[in-house]
Amino acid sequence: MEFDLANVSPEDRKEMERNVFFGTIDQLKGWARSNSLWPLTFGLACCAIEMMAAGGAHYDLDRFGVIFRTSPRQADVMIVSGTVTKKMGPLLKRLYDQMPEPKWVIAMGSCATAGGPYVKSYSVIKGVDQIVPVDVYIPGCPPNPAALIYGINKLQEKIRYEAKTGKQVTGR
Amino acid sequence: MKGMLKGLGVTLKTMGSKKVTMAYPDIPIEMPDRFRGIQYFEPDKCIVCNQCARICPTDCITLTGKANPDPEKKGKVIDTFDINFEICILCDLCTEVCPTEAIVMTNNFELAAYSRDDLYKDKEWLYENNSNIREDNNNIGSPKGGAK
Repeated sequence: MEFDLANVSPEDRKEMERNVFFGTIDQLKGWARSNSLWPLTFGLACCAIEMMAAGGAHYDLDRFGVIFRTSPRQADVMIVSGTVTKKMGPLLKRLYDQMPEPKWVIAMGSCATAGGPYVKSYSVIKGVDQIVPVDVYIPGCPPNPAALIYGINKLQEKIRYEAKTGKQVTGR
Repeated sequence: MKGMLKGLGVTLKTMGSKKVTMAYPDIPIEMPDRFRGIQYFEPDKCIVCNQCARICPTDCITLTGKANPDPEKKGKVIDTFDINFEICILCDLCTEVCPTEAIVMTNNFELAAYSRDDLYKDKEWLYENNSNIREDNNNIGSPKGGAK
């Protein structure tokens, strides 16, 4: 194996450029993280039924490396699926704090995004982003499993983009 | 021994059967006609009757009208029409109540966003959302022209 690049023949160099990829270690980390998103099973209402359906055979979240964990210590992403009441708020915050860095949050459904049908209620938190930072919002009541897969893919894209450019993705 | 053969029988039977997993992000999913995705809005059909805004359980529709620019004609035309899709619960009542079918459902569900502001849909966005529109808007079989 030749290590001096000056002595590599042009044909070998072409082959090497086809087979060797250059990138930063951040990009590698982003690639690894985005393809092993382990969500916390945090089902609160009917959206959790759709989340379970997304984990089942028809939609199969395991294809994207999304494997549900039952402990926040092992989770990377929290899918808040359902209505967060004011009583549930402190518990949600505690579970989020127990998750190791790096961590992300997906707000699934109208309730977690903005209160949904309980937008005029006295006991429901109008959007989970009031207590934890949310990365992706999925509208729908409830969003069907394909919409959840789209949201997860969008989060993967965000992780890779942030690793590649170092810029925060916040808006459009 | 018998139980093991039984178990193996199930394994062999399912091995040859068709796979049930959908290749969703690679192959788009065809949703049924009655699926509720996001609304499509046609400003020319709207007569500013405010029925959609009144029936909306979460008050996520806001609209304003202005006088018809053609002085010969009576009535109003739509000026602004916004759906706050954050709190839309897809009850489908706005499309059911609309007398001119200016607002109809589409099958588009890929709406996840990085920001809540993106979920505030205005008139222009809803007019451009003109794909996969529901074909039969009277799927409950209600009498034409309303109940007598």
